[in-house]
Amino acid sequence: MKLTEREQDGVIVLEPKGKIMGGPDASLLHDKLYEFIEQDKKKFVVDLKDVEWMNSTGLGIIISGFTTLRNSDGKLKLANVTEKIQSLLVITKLQGVFEAFDSVDEAIQSFNE
Amino acid sequence: MKEPVIKGNTIIVPSSLEYLTNIDDFIEGILRGFGTDDSAIADIAISVSELVNNSVSHGNKASEDKTVSVSIDKKGSDVVIVIEDQGDGFDPEEISNPLDEANLLKDSGRGIFIVKSLMDSLEVNKTETGTSIIIKKAIA
Repeated sequence: MKLTEREQDGVIVLEPKGKIMGGPDASLLHDKLYEFIEQDKKKFVVDLKDVEWMNSTGLGIIISGFTTLRNSDGKLKLANVTEKIQSLLVITKLQGVFEAFDSVDEAIQSFNE
Repeated sequence: MKEPVIKGNTIIVPSSLEYLTNIDDFIEGILRGFGTDDSAIADIAISVSELVNNSVSHGNKASEDKTVSVSIDKKGSDVVIVIEDQGDGFDPEEISNPLDEANLLKDSGRGIFIVKSLMDSLEVNKTETGTSIIIKKAIA
C-alpha cells in the first residue's frame, strides 16, 4: 500500500493505494491519520478510489479515526468507495455509519452544508 | 528479514505481519493460475490475510521464532486453503458478534466474521504442533 495526503479547502484528503491488509503498510495509514488528528485537524476525507481491497485491519483504522474525530467535533468521510469495499461495509453493517460520496470534491463540499 | 520458503503450493514464513504481502502475492499468483475471477481472488485474499493476521498476532503471539504456513489447492470446483500456526487455536463460534450494537464501532474483532461471510466454509482443527485452519470457496 502507498499513501499520499493533501489538504484541500481545509480538509485533509488521504489517498491510500493498493491493499490495506495489516502490517507496516496499514500502520502507515493509521499513523498519518493520527498525526493530523494530533495537529487538531477536524475534517478528513479518505479517498478509496485506488484501494483494491481492505480487510478488518483497514476497516478498524478508519473506524478508529472516525470515532476519535467524532468525539472531538471532527468528521471523517469516505469518497469513491469501490464495489468490493462497499460489500464489506454492508457485511459488517458499517455502510450506515460512514458518510460516503461519489467524489472527493463532493465529500469536501459536504463539509460546508 | 528471512526469505519465505516456498514448496509447491505452500508458503512458509516467519510469524510476522511483514510477510503478509509475500503471502498475498503467492496466493494471488496461484489463484490466477486456477483461472479465478478478480472478485473471488479478492474474497479469498482478504480471508487469508485475516487468518494470517490472526495466526501471527493471536496464535503465535507475534513470536518470529514461530512460523505460519499457507497451502492452497483446488479440489473439484473448490479452492481449499490451509493455514497452520503453532498456537492454541480458537472456537469460531465463541467469537463476539461484531454486528451487535455494543461492538459495531469497535476497531477490531471483525476478522473471523468477515472470513465466514466471504468463504463457503471455515474449519479450525488442533494439530500436534498447533492449529490448522481450513477455508474453502467454490470458484467458477
